[in-house]
Amino acid sequence: MSKRTARMRHPAAELNITAFMNLMVVLVPFLLMTAVFTQITVLDLKLPPPDALNKPQPEQKPYELRLTIRADSLVLSDNRVGLIKQFARRDGKHDFAQLKSALKQVKARIPAHTGITILSEQQTRYKDLIEAMDSSRSYRTQVEGEWVFAELFPNISIGDAARQVAK
Amino acid sequence: MSTRRDKRKQKFKARRRPRATLLNLVSLMDIFTILVFFLLVNASTAEVLPSPKNILLPEAGADKLPALNLVIAVDDRVIRLQGKQVIAVSDVLEDGKSSIRPLYDALLEARKTVKNLTDKQGVTIMGDQEIPYALLKKIMLTCTGAEYTNISFAVIQKVAES
Repeated sequence: MSKRTARMRHPAAELNITAFMNLMVVLVPFLLMTAVFTQITVLDLKLPPPDALNKPQPEQKPYELRLTIRADSLVLSDNRVGLIKQFARRDGKHDFAQLKSALKQVKARIPAHTGITILSEQQTRYKDLIEAMDSSRSYRTQVEGEWVFAELFPNISIGDAARQVAK
Repeated sequence: MSTRRDKRKQKFKARRRPRATLLNLVSLMDIFTILVFFLLVNASTAEVLPSPKNILLPEAGADKLPALNLVIAVDDRVIRLQGKQVIAVSDVLEDGKSSIRPLYDALLEARKTVKNLTDKQGVTIMGDQEIPYALLKKIMLTCTGAEYTNISFAVIQKVAES
């Protein structure tokens, strides 16, 4: 029997995949519906317990880095030299990229310091506060070809900004 | 071309294979199989927080997954604790007090009633990105007053810019 006639006698066996197809057709829309494409994560903030206010304060005030979110600018300052840098609002947005690079410089100067106080005005939007926290917490950098988070000032405190003096 | 010959050929073919041709589903099957595995792997990361419909969370590069905490959801109209409405936002902003009494009571109540939490002092705040700091401060002060001192802000993970 030649090859050709053999093929004609026994055609290639067809798998019956109807049941499998049904399963897939049901499973794919179901999984697509339940799929989560936006991952929700959290930013942590540790608040002092309520009785912490009664504790005696140390004589010499420790170094404190402050970031104030104003309506029209971001102000980076500390309690030693005062104003470090000010970033004006650009294109209707706060300039967090500039802030990040300034914070990197500050971190290079005082590597052991991990605290920052973020001061906001009453009308500051939550989004800006979160972005400020995110910017001052860490930055992404490349170490040996891999992207990692490098620490900046992860111990974040939150407070009220002082009223701006009218000019 | 000889059309007659073509016709004859077709007739011959039709006589030889009378059964209906089957659809070739192999590539479709391949796609479905890959898709199902991809979605199964995606779905296996258990979701702790429900994604809120009317709250637009801010974005941040945080990579910590939420713990099983009490959830305070704040949209532009109401404050909810564990899905139950507590107080309207406008009422909170109008009164001059530094903390929110109904929320405080609800938090103390939740301490007794809500079980299976990973952190007894933890609370997750899911706030809309437009809420003012004044409101957030009141909520945080209330949480501290009720001895929930580990506050987490729920955010949407930002896609890393490379």
